[in-house]
Amino acid sequence: MALENRRRVVITGAGCLSCLADSPGGLHAALVAGHSGLKAIELFSTDAIGCHQAGEIRPFDAQAYLPDRNLRPIDRTSRLLLVAAGKALAASGRPLEVAERDDGEIGLVLGTTFCSLRTIAEFDRRNLQLGPSYASPLDFANSVINAAAGQAAIWFGLRGLNSTISAGAASGLAAVGYATDQIRGGRANALLAGGAEELCFESFFGHYQAGRLCGSAGNRNEEKGEVPIPFDARRNGFALAEGAALMMLEDAAAAAERGAPVLAEVLGHGSGFDPLGTPESAARAVARAIRLALEEAGLGPLDVDALSAGANGSVDADRWEAAGVAAALGARAEILPVTAVKSMLGEALGASGGLQLVALLGTLEDGVLPGILGLEQTEEGFPFPGASPNARRLPGHRGSGAVTALATTLSADGHAWAVLLGSWRGSA
Amino acid sequence: MKSRIAVTGLGLVTPIGEGRQEVWEGLLAGRSGFAPVESFDTRGFSAHLGAEVRGFDPAPWVRRQDPAALGRASQLAIAAARQALDDAGLDPEALEPERAGVAMGTTSGEPREVERFDDKYLAGELEQVGDEFMGLYPCHMIAAHVARELGFAGDNTMIPTACAAGNYAIAHAVDVLRAGRADVMLAGGADSFSRITYTGFARLGAIAPERCQPFDRNRKGMIPGEGAAVLVLEPLERALARGARVYAELAGYGLSCDAHHMTAAHPEGDGAARAMQRALADAGAVPADVSYISAHGTGTPTNDRLETLAVKRVFGAAAKNTPMSSIKSMIGHTMGAASAIEAAVCALAVALDRIPPTMNLEEPEEDLDYVPNTARDLRVVLAMNNAYAFGGNNASVILRKHEA
Amino acid sequence: MSSNAEEIRTRIKQIIANVAGLNAGRINDDAKLREDLKLDSLSLLEIGVDVDLAYKLELPDERYKEIDSLPAMVDLVQQRLGEREMQPKAVLG
Repeated sequence: MALENRRRVVITGAGCLSCLADSPGGLHAALVAGHSGLKAIELFSTDAIGCHQAGEIRPFDAQAYLPDRNLRPIDRTSRLLLVAAGKALAASGRPLEVAERDDGEIGLVLGTTFCSLRTIAEFDRRNLQLGPSYASPLDFANSVINAAAGQAAIWFGLRGLNSTISAGAASGLAAVGYATDQIRGGRANALLAGGAEELCFESFFGHYQAGRLCGSAGNRNEEKGEVPIPFDARRNGFALAEGAALMMLEDAAAAAERGAPVLAEVLGHGSGFDPLGTPESAARAVARAIRLALEEAGLGPLDVDALSAGANGSVDADRWEAAGVAAALGARAEILPVTAVKSMLGEALGASGGLQLVALLGTLEDGVLPGILGLEQTEEGFPFPGASPNARRLPGHRGSGAVTALATTLSADGHAWAVLLGSWRGSA
Repeated sequence: MKSRIAVTGLGLVTPIGEGRQEVWEGLLAGRSGFAPVESFDTRGFSAHLGAEVRGFDPAPWVRRQDPAALGRASQLAIAAARQALDDAGLDPEALEPERAGVAMGTTSGEPREVERFDDKYLAGELEQVGDEFMGLYPCHMIAAHVARELGFAGDNTMIPTACAAGNYAIAHAVDVLRAGRADVMLAGGADSFSRITYTGFARLGAIAPERCQPFDRNRKGMIPGEGAAVLVLEPLERALARGARVYAELAGYGLSCDAHHMTAAHPEGDGAARAMQRALADAGAVPADVSYISAHGTGTPTNDRLETLAVKRVFGAAAKNTPMSSIKSMIGHTMGAASAIEAAVCALAVALDRIPPTMNLEEPEEDLDYVPNTARDLRVVLAMNNAYAFGGNNASVILRKHEA
Repeated sequence: MSSNAEEIRTRIKQIIANVAGLNAGRINDDAKLREDLKLDSLSLLEIGVDVDLAYKLELPDERYKEIDSLPAMVDLVQQRLGEREMQPKAVLG
């Protein structure tokens, strides 16, 4: 579709919950200050596991954010989502009076890997222990992977388009891409998009047994122990985390009509998949994702001011993602400011993409990109000399103060996604 | 002007057979896929019937990967995917990898992997859970395994919107093709039978004790099943240029959300009606254009009544003249695969001008034409496929006859 | 051993409170489950499951579907417990 005739998609509000902060501004400040949200787990016992640290959200009292309503039927994943959704709706001024072009309804596109693996497993275990007649009906309702999106729709009356997308750590970026397509295609005017994922024993244990965590038995880095250090030569896995992050995506014209403040524009998105599990195939998938995002935006590598990589400390994926970005951006990679916020947030799977983008909103506003906490030595051939452990102000962006920032992810299973955000530059 | 999308290949693994021909003939003949559940012990349950895929052998289909390293839903999905490509006359190795993608839907992903975990957990043998749990369990692995099997490097998305997931996946594939981001998309759904799913529906009192009788006055519920279906979708121009057989065109889709209740539909069929209306608008059609409706028709008292209500709301006077049947009366409720199987059946209905019956229909509760018990010859120009899910996710997909 | 109505009512109120997110102390002794407490079908089903589990009543779902108030639930539990006291010890299995 020609750029001139195409509907533009803007972000008019955001809400988030993470181990570091429960607001977009708080998140950006904490990341820029180099704080880590990783801590000893209290949510469940880690006695049976050799790893004890994660990006747990603590304290988390959903009732404090959502007073006066019954939370019993709502499990942790859904609670995280409800809180983030409420914040995003409030921040965007809840556009109930959207133009009559459609029925004025708000929808939700949610990225999640498991929804609630805990609910599913507990439902099953209760059945095994007490018999099928004592299985929990409420838990069963929450055992479908689209349960959280459904709960949020009921809670807030979101009768617009509602979908759930799963692509591992890339789920959130995928959800934003999907939502962008729906708005450009005229199927929706306002969609909450992002992701949610809870920390639970089953997921943590499973990732540990798969050797993916930075403190997994086969992974333990003698010097660093259980600390994830994306892109660092000593990295040996990621730290699991939880969270929820949603942005209100709207048709730019509709947003202008209701006088909504615009935080950023979604310029483009793209994806790829690595079917072979080789360095070349993985890098190709990432490069494809970026290329498609730039094409959609009508931009080129030189227009990218900053990169928020999804790198989380995984030995191979971090390297392959970097190679893919370098392949797509060419010479631009050599001076590109790069961050990897999972050095501080951990890997929140379905919530990660949303958190990356919400954090970038802060960078778009003040031109400051967080550093990569703990980065000390990169490996040979690492393509980003611009990567630093310290936050930095983006070099003069052509004097206009406008920023174009790229968020990428390469999931553990080969899903590559890219979303390009830009400062809102003009009228719809 | 939206580009036109062709359905050029179909792959099916169902409780009444595998492959488009066997399944189609079985549906027209009213074959039943119901039998006492074999994959786990149903003692202590209030129900015992299921629609399992019996005797499925993944070996002929899973060639690039070790079948034992895949969950069951992935195996079923790969079988359906390879069948569909064969049916479309496409060699996966001859396709440009980055221009071929996968969009799949599911309700549960690979629940048997959680069941294995739980068995170990309760036996105090957690140390026996290895890397297979995270390697197999996440639902996105279904789409990933299909793409790994075929070498596809394009868009790869899992849409786990429960019992409407197949339609959602097809809708997404249509969008990817219309945006020019792929030349070929495999779209469909897969779910494996599991005690978790069965226990849940039994606990809700939703499973019929003896018969699945959609739209019948005496219906007592649904019967859980498993299966997979994959459709090959391509831009119509490309399909015609390579001389492919076009079953039907994917003319449009509509999505909606009830935002009402997690397990019960909106009492006035509100969301279902909106999904149908949006699909019709997307296809540039009106209700009178619809020749046949493939219903969600699970056989539960509530769904069938509300679905009928929604159809009457949208179709008005035309409702009584629009045949609507539920193949769940034969293959049960195959969860995330259901609407994909039903979409494939709609493609065949459009291509062959025949529609499958609603079996076990003795006393229709309402006055619509539910195609009782006997398949029928019918000129099918537009077929509408409806699906409704837990969480209030609704999706309608429309297939249109391709006339050269 | 028989439980008196007061004990049963208190315990059921706790179960309802737990499912419905209510304060048990605010549930009237004569509360109607749907009209007064605004409980939907899923919550009612859960309450029935939890009550049955708490007292090991082993009643079919149909018995709980007829219950529309807290007094009716208390009566059901008392009646069932009374029935079981009268029965000779059954062989387990």
